Amino acid sequence: MNNKMPIKKIALSMLVCASTFTPVHAVVTDKDIQNDQATTDDVVTYGMGLKAQRYSPLSAINKDTVEEVRPVWAFSLGGEKQRGQESQPLIKDGVMYVTGSYSRVWAIDARTGEELWQYEARLPDGIMPCCDVINRGVALYDNLVLFGTLDAKLVALDKDTGKTVWKKKVEDYRAGYAITAAPIVVDGKVITGISGGEFGIVGKVYAYDAKSGKQLWVRPTVEGHMGYIWKDGKKVENGISGGAPGKTWPADLWKTGGAATWLGGTYDVDTGLLFFGTGNPAPWNSHLRPGDNYFSSSRLAIDPNTGKIVWHFQTTPHDGWDFDGVNELISFDYTENGKTVKAAATADRNGFFYVLNRENGDFIRGFPFVDKLSWASGLDKKGRPIYIEDNRPGSPVDGKQGSQVVARPAFLGGKNWMPMAYSQDTELFYVPSNEWEMDIWNEPTSYKKGAAYLGAGFTIKSVNEDYIGVLKAIDPKTGETVWRYNNYSPLWGGVLTTGGGLVWTGNPEGYLMAFDDKTGEVVYKFQTGSGIVGSPVTWEMDGEQYISVLSGWGGAVPLWGGKSPSALSTSTKAERFGPLNYLSVISKLRKTKA
Amino acid sequence: MQRFRTRSRFMFSSLALLLLCCAMLTNSKSNARSLDDIVESGTIRIAVYNDYPPFSFLEENEAKGIDIDIANEIARALEVTLELVWMTPGETTEDDFRNYLWKGHIIHRIKADVMMRAPNDRSFSQKRDDVGLLVNELVHMFAPYHRESWQIIHNTKTLPEVETMGMFQYHTIGAEIDSIPHFYLTSAFGGRLREKTSHYATNALAFDAMKIGEIEAVMGLRSQISYLSQFVDSSQFKLAANAFPLIGKQKWDIGLAVHNDYRALSYEVGDVITALVIDGKMQAIFDKYSTVYEMPPYYQ
Repeated sequence: MNNKMPIKKIALSMLVCASTFTPVHAVVTDKDIQNDQATTDDVVTYGMGLKAQRYSPLSAINKDTVEEVRPVWAFSLGGEKQRGQESQPLIKDGVMYVTGSYSRVWAIDARTGEELWQYEARLPDGIMPCCDVINRGVALYDNLVLFGTLDAKLVALDKDTGKTVWKKKVEDYRAGYAITAAPIVVDGKVITGISGGEFGIVGKVYAYDAKSGKQLWVRPTVEGHMGYIWKDGKKVENGISGGAPGKTWPADLWKTGGAATWLGGTYDVDTGLLFFGTGNPAPWNSHLRPGDNYFSSSRLAIDPNTGKIVWHFQTTPHDGWDFDGVNELISFDYTENGKTVKAAATADRNGFFYVLNRENGDFIRGFPFVDKLSWASGLDKKGRPIYIEDNRPGSPVDGKQGSQVVARPAFLGGKNWMPMAYSQDTELFYVPSNEWEMDIWNEPTSYKKGAAYLGAGFTIKSVNEDYIGVLKAIDPKTGETVWRYNNYSPLWGGVLTTGGGLVWTGNPEGYLMAFDDKTGEVVYKFQTGSGIVGSPVTWEMDGEQYISVLSGWGGAVPLWGGKSPSALSTSTKAERFGPLNYLSVISKLRKTKA
Repeated sequence: MQRFRTRSRFMFSSLALLLLCCAMLTNSKSNARSLDDIVESGTIRIAVYNDYPPFSFLEENEAKGIDIDIANEIARALEVTLELVWMTPGETTEDDFRNYLWKGHIIHRIKADVMMRAPNDRSFSQKRDDVGLLVNELVHMFAPYHRESWQIIHNTKTLPEVETMGMFQYHTIGAEIDSIPHFYLTSAFGGRLREKTSHYATNALAFDAMKIGEIEAVMGLRSQISYLSQFVDSSQFKLAANAFPLIGKQKWDIGLAVHNDYRALSYEVGDVITALVIDGKMQAIFDKYSTVYEMPPYYQ
């Protein structure tokens, strides 16, 4: 491309132009979804492609032109319901579909910022989401906008009117279930995971027919539970996950088990596999459940047609630190000794970065992506952590009261939910990470529902005076950190990388930032007015490249930090950017015509 | 399950009403309030746990339980009407304080004036965080009204006596998930009781399992176990008198909580509770639900 051409400053006249444009009412097809990463005029999947590489080949906005980026419009999600905004916008035919806190959805004219419709889920009083009332985005299919709600329902809305086409109860919210992740659509099937607290839920992956909402299959992610598939409208047994109960769990603890699939999944068309991460085993304390506790803290490869588990890779067997390793698994190819390796990478809450063979789940390599780990001395040949047993929190009953361990990373993770990005140009992963540790001790003075409750005390502490968040460029072939950017507050937003040689992310201080993908130099900064915990996207419209991100501080960090900033002693600055106003900021840049 | 559903439907309709009132009276409805405001408005809002027998539950759409009776006594003494705020418990009591006393419910932001079943434990109310601040500085905990403990009930046909916890290396026992008894049975004594332990969503379900012989005993809160024991054959199922070695907290007191700004309210309500405890009315309320009562040492 010709990047040297002068870029015109954005003029108001362009907005006028845009508003006269008549939208094309095309539907989203399976082909649109499969090709999402290559087609730059839309974003029809969470992750900007089913692989979720969050890479766009667009290059009009690049290192030379980025300083010309200007805001085009801002849209307030408004009302009393301003909380953390962790959503990623989707764009089709000049319409943006975005979710907000409290399970709300908007369709917005992407050219003008005008609201086309709003959908507000009527949430029941009894919901009790663990980590703020967030939602991470929608899926698009045919004429439908699909998303999950905090009361554990899957909803399909008409993309033009916002009216409900179908609505399915996935699980009972009263049992502790919720949905916050964006669903994905593969070959006409809408597939979702589930969130849940420590109330004895069982993680599952669910598939429904996207058009009709009919259930197709369900796959439990805890060993011992029966999966089901629907054949001719009949629910048929489809094999027990892991073969039989109790192999890696003591007594009847497999019956509850946890392993929530709360972050949703990705899909790889080459292998035809879905990849879902699973959360921590329940109950939280590992001394109650000796064994590996399948399939908690794992990555599962699932056949989208049958709902069967094809392979699994467990990052933290017998998790004792609440490393809830649910993180996204991103497919990518690389060449080694002249051969193409079909790999996939994941940066786990536990602080290790794993490269797996995505065809069979074999461990290729792994290395820490955080500066220091306290709980394992490394990974063995199969990728299993070599535990430092002294760093495992003690038994709640037999353990000596007052004994304390300091574990690093903290339970919020080396990397939490916020998605990383993979650049096909630099062949690097851009990983939003946090450097913090936690004190854990047995706490007999904790209470639940008025009854004395034998809990553990956690205090998250930063380990450096001047930063918690670190954005790292990591070479998946060597484990080398090519560059790093230290951020004062914890990073909690998604990353995007582009063919323009830029890496985009936001921070709790409120800045949308662009980095040089090779050096990590900050080449652009824009203050959005509130902390960013959403994921930026980019697309092309009317010959120009746009960037959009949601701004709105919230999510788990301020919640776990509680009313005082004490849980994150040095992140008090982030608290200052507390709930003020929530905007979607868009910048655009004229595409240079070659 | 069916019963549960009816209950929640009622809850939602009463909530809808609440919300409607909320819309009409905006400010006064969503904030915890001073004693003067409560008396002036003629209504006190008291928070009780959802579906939590014997303390607060719905039976055929009627609120019942020990906490409901106490809440009614408070309203009567203050000469105001009682409005119940039903709580869905969070992971810890601190979550409930946040959602029902100082920050408000996550959806409708309604706060209660008084919350039932707050721990009355100095080491808890004075707990400090890593930088030395009070963890529960926004909440004032007062007026302990009963002393809680642990209790086992057992099937005398297969397990005549529970001499020590060691019996449960050989006899089956159930407990509510994510509770101390559950943690205790699965981890104490080097995990030797683990294989004989089953867990259930509630103590009532554990009782059902005991009745059909799936397990031989249930361990839980003394108040709940004694309450549930009235519904099983007392010649076959007996409350045990064993000790619970290794449990850090053998007994603890339960009281009330208000927002820290409203001490005057706590003095007034505290006097009501003291009178109930001293004149034996509290004992009578517990007796009504066949629940073991122990007076907190505060009054002795």
